[in-house]
Amino acid sequence: MSTLSFLFDGFQTALQPHNLLFAFIGVLIGTAVGVLPGIGPMSGVALLIPVTASMTSGLSPEQAAASSIILLAGVYYGAMYGGSTTSILLNTPGESSSVVTTLDGYQMARQGRAGAALAIAAIGSFVAGIVSLIGLVLLAEPLSNVALKFGPAEYFSLMLLGLAAVSGLAGKSMTKAWIMTVFGLLLSTIGLDNVSGVARFTYNISYLYGGLEFLTVAVGLFALGEVFRAILHRETNEGEIAKIGRILPTKSDLKESAGPIARGSLLGFFIGVLPGAGATLASFFSYILEKKISKHPEKFGQGTIAGVAAPESANNGASGGAMIPLLTLGIPGSGTTAILMGALIMYNVQPGPLLFDEHPAVAWGLIASMFIGNVMLLILNMPLVKLFAKIIQTPTKYLLPLIIAISVFGVYAVQVTTFDVFLLLAFGLLGYWLAEHDYPLAPLVLGLVLGPMIENNMRRALTASNGDYLVFVEKPISLVLLVIALLWIAVPFFMKLRGKTVIVNEDM
Amino acid sequence: MNKTADRIAAVAFLAVGALFMVESLRISKSAYGSAVGPNVFPFLLGLVLVLLSIKLLFETRNYSGATGEKLPRQYKKFLVIFIAAIFYAALLETVGYVITTFLFLVIGFQTMEKGALWKSIAIAAGFSLGVYGLYVKLLQGTLPSWPIWFQ
Repeated sequence: MSTLSFLFDGFQTALQPHNLLFAFIGVLIGTAVGVLPGIGPMSGVALLIPVTASMTSGLSPEQAAASSIILLAGVYYGAMYGGSTTSILLNTPGESSSVVTTLDGYQMARQGRAGAALAIAAIGSFVAGIVSLIGLVLLAEPLSNVALKFGPAEYFSLMLLGLAAVSGLAGKSMTKAWIMTVFGLLLSTIGLDNVSGVARFTYNISYLYGGLEFLTVAVGLFALGEVFRAILHRETNEGEIAKIGRILPTKSDLKESAGPIARGSLLGFFIGVLPGAGATLASFFSYILEKKISKHPEKFGQGTIAGVAAPESANNGASGGAMIPLLTLGIPGSGTTAILMGALIMYNVQPGPLLFDEHPAVAWGLIASMFIGNVMLLILNMPLVKLFAKIIQTPTKYLLPLIIAISVFGVYAVQVTTFDVFLLLAFGLLGYWLAEHDYPLAPLVLGLVLGPMIENNMRRALTASNGDYLVFVEKPISLVLLVIALLWIAVPFFMKLRGKTVIVNEDM
Repeated sequence: MNKTADRIAAVAFLAVGALFMVESLRISKSAYGSAVGPNVFPFLLGLVLVLLSIKLLFETRNYSGATGEKLPRQYKKFLVIFIAAIFYAALLETVGYVITTFLFLVIGFQTMEKGALWKSIAIAAGFSLGVYGLYVKLLQGTLPSWPIWFQ
């Protein structure tokens, strides 16, 4: 019963007028971010952190954290909704998790059924959002109770497992993914040491004493990196936009897609809970699954509605599922959740098992607002889909310089030093170069966010054991976690050796 | 996979890892109340980064020499915008937010595509004044306002 009463309190937080407004702004901007090619959910969330920070500056810290995380999470799942629009209308996925949607979605649009495809994508996303939220409500308490029993050694191993999972699945080369992870961890050691107060790698530059600001790095790598690529590669968003036509799906459409939506939601949710496997993998798997169990597999790729319903439900289910390890264990499983975690830490709210005890308004308010946000998205998307389709035509000529200006404003507004603006530009260049040569960026950000926590837990565990490194394998839970981490790295490695292809998450 | 790029990256990361290892030797080794000093974690990470870079360096030997055809790149446009951004950052505090943002945006818009100057000016002015008005006047935030010699 306590869960229900907490959820009720959460709804009270989420239904406050200003939080309703924040959720609305979040899903609106998120849908726009998803529709605009070139800005993915990661750069969208990163860009909006400073904006929300200034919008919530008048509130008390706890309320500010709740309101801004409500907005940012709205952007996250709003982008999942919006991504489908361009896939269906333009045959260009707005972000990588809707790549699969292009296969059948664009075919449907060519047959004049774009409206039905968009509607079923919205309905599927809505159902998946609700399914993953129910999962979140059911799993949050028990999981965080388990995690509360963890000591520093177990936490250290758990975080290593998180890093191993993300690095093992990210990008084409595992070596490169690991280099990025370790590089991120190294960058996190710059600044004053949390335990001893010793300055590390600061070279008497006063700006560095606080460490590299997570926000600057994330906005630089993702938002500026993508803008630089778009300028250099002359990316435009020209192209024929398909006519939308009738929006309401027919009864047979609904009947045909009910099964795929249900299966896609559940599959997506469970894939999302696993660290490292994100929305992109979920949408791929659900499409493959539907094709396998379908009575007419030959119809897939030619505009069958199940081929839109399943992946779109799955990617939304996964984004909801990815919130579970973030909120209950304090371990982000993907790039976007790593950025959300960075935002929470900026507000002095530490995600993890204690979150539900220490900041119930933030945790349950967020969960309740995701219910409300999903309803808003369904209402928004059905009638406004034609309006959002117009956003696709925003000329890049204006869009790209404006994104640079927003990034500069955001970083300066939070940090109030030009040092960080220069750092932002430098990380923009680095982000472009690294992404261009297949170095995945998500592990770097993950390393930067988790670095201080990994180090603290490692040192606390070692202090308790008087410097004996065996402590990590002597505790049974810690040992199990380490073994799983090792397997996570070793299994794909051996599969590659045997010549099997391993599906990887390219975006993250 | 690009052989040259990955070799450059491997050497660069090797250097970074080595630098962190060497520099962490200079950090004090002991910390009160902790058995492990602040130097251990960065030293170990530096070591891992060095090892990974060497692994990447070996992997580049197996790359096939053929690289994909080069696509045309708009280096000139990018350089103009990037240099404009550097000036934007450098002058932000002395010249103030509104003027620098306005100039940066006009240059950016016109570099992306010449023409429609008045539209560029209108959008740039709207954005810079709008952000300043909203953020500083309405939300009481801090941004450098106008040129320092004006005040």
